[in-house]
Amino acid sequence: MSDYSELDKEMLSRNLDAAQIETLEKVKQEGRVWDDLSEEYGVDNPDPPWRIDLESTCDALADGYWNTSNVCKPETERTPENEANLDALERRWEEDQLVSERYADVPFPERQLLALAHSMIRRGLISEEDLAEKMKLVDKRLNMID
Amino acid sequence: MSDQHEELHQPAAMVDEVSEFEVLELAVRELCIEKGLFSADDHRRWTEYMHTLGPAPAAHLVAKAWLDPEFKKTAVTDGVKASLDVGIDWVNSMPTNFGTPSDYCNLRVLEDTPTLKHVVVCTLCSCYPRPILGQSPEWYRTPNYRRRIVRWPRQVLAEFGLQLSADIEVRVEDSNQKSRFIVMPVRPEGTEGWTEDQLAEIVTRDCLIGVAVPQVGKTENDKRPVRPAVNPYKH
Repeated sequence: MSDYSELDKEMLSRNLDAAQIETLEKVKQEGRVWDDLSEEYGVDNPDPPWRIDLESTCDALADGYWNTSNVCKPETERTPENEANLDALERRWEEDQLVSERYADVPFPERQLLALAHSMIRRGLISEEDLAEKMKLVDKRLNMID
Repeated sequence: MSDQHEELHQPAAMVDEVSEFEVLELAVRELCIEKGLFSADDHRRWTEYMHTLGPAPAAHLVAKAWLDPEFKKTAVTDGVKASLDVGIDWVNSMPTNFGTPSDYCNLRVLEDTPTLKHVVVCTLCSCYPRPILGQSPEWYRTPNYRRRIVRWPRQVLAEFGLQLSADIEVRVEDSNQKSRFIVMPVRPEGTEGWTEDQLAEIVTRDCLIGVAVPQVGKTENDKRPVRPAVNPYKH
């Protein structure tokens, strides 16, 4: 896709569902954002420690765009190796829309993370149930003290 | 142990709690790996690569070009070749060793003059010359900047504190999947006799995007308020 209007038209036709997803809404409402945490603990780093991990997840999801067999081909000739990849342009379009409709009051990069998870659930790449279950396990692991 | 010694060995401040966002990030990542969307090794290679990136190589490229007219010619005609001199190999770099990921392999260096000012945007998403400039700032990603800088560049630059007189032409370059851009601003007065390192210090990230110009004594980017766009996407 070469310009925004073309991308816009295609993406609008897909009717992305920006309605509330309970698991993400809970994070949005109860999660402590980096701006607050860093101020409370006197940390200078402007970005949370997971920001690079999040960027890497987004890039890794774009799969075929950086595969050696694709990277220098014209876009129309590229073929994703993994059918389940999440195109970077489409992800960014959906992020803009989801931020505007649902996550506008969440700062960056927390809003990028919520939008990514929202996109992935709506596309069926992961389920909300799986995510909620995984979050419980991760939370238990990260907070384990002995 | 002296008080001064103890002061020097104070541990750095750290956030001593796990946020829900941290949990969410890790959960999404682990689910991706479990479902085979990418491998743990893919992610590790990406992360290691990302941690090597920052704006210093681009700042040195500009500083070097200010000092060396021959290098400047190379920079404006072949940005990829000039990047090699500041340690950035667009074609053979990690993580693919064959062209940098979504950043493609075509860097163009836009030379400002006293009557021409360049500024960079990505109207489509947030394409950015990450291999040589690191992660994009938040405001660069916003629909507000992306839509408005192409329509009203002078007004938007003025909001960044950059007031341009009417006789200076403004060119907005739109990044895309094939090409990435950095701006080579005009070397400011008062920097005669400076070394490359001294010059690179005043070539901030914002100067390289084009929303600021280098100033003697200014080595940090200003904090930008991020405003939501009016009618942000359905237009």
